[in-house]
Amino acid sequence: MKNAIETHDLTKVYNNNFTAVNSLNLEIPDKSIFGMLGPNGAGKTTTIKMLTCLIQPTSGRATVGGYDVQKNPDEVRNLLGMVPQQVSLYKDLTVMENSQMCADYYGVPQDERDSRIEDLMELVDIKYAKDKRVGQLSGGQKQKASLVASLVHRPEILFLDEPTIGLDPTTKRTLWDLIRELNDNGHTIILCSHDMHEVDMLCDNVGIINTGNLVAYDTPQGLKDALLESNKKEMTDALSKISSESEVSTSTKENIENLNLRKMSILLKNQDDNVIDSIKKSNNIKSIEIAKNGRINLRIDSFDDMAVQNVLNDIIASGGIIKSIYTEEPSLEDVFIKSTSEVNENDRA
Amino acid sequence: MIEPKKFWWMIKKELISLKRHPGRLISILAFPIIMILLFGYGMGGEMTDLPIVVVSQSHGDLTDLTLDTIKSTETYHVVEVMDNLNDGKERVENGEVKAAIILPSDYDDDSSSQKGVTLYLDSSDQMASQIIESSTQGIFYRLSNMVAAQTSVSTQDADIEPSVMHSLNNFKDDISLHINRIYGNIKYIDFLVPAILGMTVMMSCMMGMGATIAGERETGELARLFMTPTSVSTVIGGKIAAKLLIELVRALILIFMAVLLFNVSIKGGFLQTFIVLVIGALCFVGFGIMLSARTSTQEDYAQMSLPFSMPMMFVSGVFYPIETMPWILQKLAYIFPLTYLNDAMRGIMLKGQTLGDVWLDLVVLLGFTALFFIIGVKRFNRDV
Repeated sequence: MKNAIETHDLTKVYNNNFTAVNSLNLEIPDKSIFGMLGPNGAGKTTTIKMLTCLIQPTSGRATVGGYDVQKNPDEVRNLLGMVPQQVSLYKDLTVMENSQMCADYYGVPQDERDSRIEDLMELVDIKYAKDKRVGQLSGGQKQKASLVASLVHRPEILFLDEPTIGLDPTTKRTLWDLIRELNDNGHTIILCSHDMHEVDMLCDNVGIINTGNLVAYDTPQGLKDALLESNKKEMTDALSKISSESEVSTSTKENIENLNLRKMSILLKNQDDNVIDSIKKSNNIKSIEIAKNGRINLRIDSFDDMAVQNVLNDIIASGGIIKSIYTEEPSLEDVFIKSTSEVNENDRA
Repeated sequence: MIEPKKFWWMIKKELISLKRHPGRLISILAFPIIMILLFGYGMGGEMTDLPIVVVSQSHGDLTDLTLDTIKSTETYHVVEVMDNLNDGKERVENGEVKAAIILPSDYDDDSSSQKGVTLYLDSSDQMASQIIESSTQGIFYRLSNMVAAQTSVSTQDADIEPSVMHSLNNFKDDISLHINRIYGNIKYIDFLVPAILGMTVMMSCMMGMGATIAGERETGELARLFMTPTSVSTVIGGKIAAKLLIELVRALILIFMAVLLFNVSIKGGFLQTFIVLVIGALCFVGFGIMLSARTSTQEDYAQMSLPFSMPMMFVSGVFYPIETMPWILQKLAYIFPLTYLNDAMRGIMLKGQTLGDVWLDLVVLLGFTALFFIIGVKRFNRDV
């Protein structure tokens, strides 16, 4: 499959010797929706700036639609549309005027300009506000206006930076439908978002960037499956080390199929205050909640290899006998936290 | 290369914004009017009608003549003529009047050789006290000449050697001082207005241009433009053109108001004045571009521009001639473009010089402009 974007050892080092992007190798298939994830300061924005020709890479290369971002910046710019997180249209101009201005800046033929804009306005359902000033629009309307202005030159590749942040659920879903429709129409979409559900719902592929590196890349399901496999192994190892005094029901073993390290529900045979206190004091426990049915619901705040083992050991050491363990299937958020926390741990080390 | 359609959008956008914000438009147009009113009335006017009292402890022709002279002097407003010395002093000390002119009891006594007139002055008001002091000295200088002349006549009557008395008493009359004001009778407001025009253009262009660029960086509007296949020079050129257009309208209002309110003369002609202002405006727009090339917020820009704009305002000879400043400030003045703009503006407006006469100022200004633009565009990055 042809790639819309490729980066080869793409690196950006700022003047203060801060390496924002470190030898990034990335391939984004043509006509796909790609989710670019990463914690704040991970290097996503710098990557986007290099891909949109706003800044020059320090080393490595990147191509957009086959054009080199350093050698053919104007060709690259013609292929790109950008809907930034902060709506950057001129607030004193109307939706129509802003779109016309963008069209003229991209060199859209004059005889096609207004009809293209009207079509796009219909597509995103903002035509009713075309003569309103952008400053007078609601958040959702502004995002739609921004989409029109970004699509007016028919870009092959569209960057969406947190497009639904701050929007109500209905508008958010309308925009999701629109993103799918744009993708169906042949646009490659690069979606930067912290909304894991959104990325999970929309994206064909997801790349997680942390400290300037690509730390995970797969389909959303592929990433979740990989975490599940990793969890299973970790939990099996942990359970195998539990002393013989503990009882682990057969159903628990079966539940390992659905293990999630971060959320565990444990039922003890001999639940007492000593055991609860020792769990509370255990490292890596983010929250503990005793359900009415007696189950202890735990959230573990670490992906350290020994985190589960330590919690289970603490329970046993305080005299607790484990009757059963239930877990949940990993979410993309779990994948994100695991991927980024591992790198952070390595950084700290 | 500059692309005309994109260039025009920058101007159009500014004009639409102004049209849709009448308050902003009024503020832009009112600014030069306020400036000229403030400086014209606040600094360019003459001090007149300063309240004083006269303590007159004598009677006679000279006293009457002195009182008439004082009363007819525009500088003073004689609140009262009194004979009690302490009352007069008290009025000054209470701040009711700025000074008391005290004529001694022997003021009209012909036999008295020294007539000790006292000026009891409220020196806490430096400006008023200086003016009263010089006016009073002037009055009594003239009066003493008159007295001397009369004395001379009376001594001549007494058959004293005329040539000796002439040289002693009337020598001042032999020196005939002809003052030839080559540029006419120029008032302080005349001196001030050309520089106020320059300063207003400097402030508006420098602050306005830089703040616009930094503001659009902050809101991401500039980034959107730079993501399009458009050169930096087109975006910046369009912004400059839009700014220049607005600033020149303001400059026109400023000139018009100066002429209308203060009858300021433009001896070199309106067109030449306007051309000099355009060159000045370009120079300061360039300065704004240079400073804002790497600033990411309006606040950063405001902080960065202050160390340049404030000294420039006070050192470039706007309010006082550069030659009256300490030597270090005089040297400093010549590294600021406003000095050259002021010099050219005064040359054209006050002296009636032509653009050719002020060529050096214009060359320096254009040199600064080229330097600012080159550095500005080179340093300018598309990053936000």
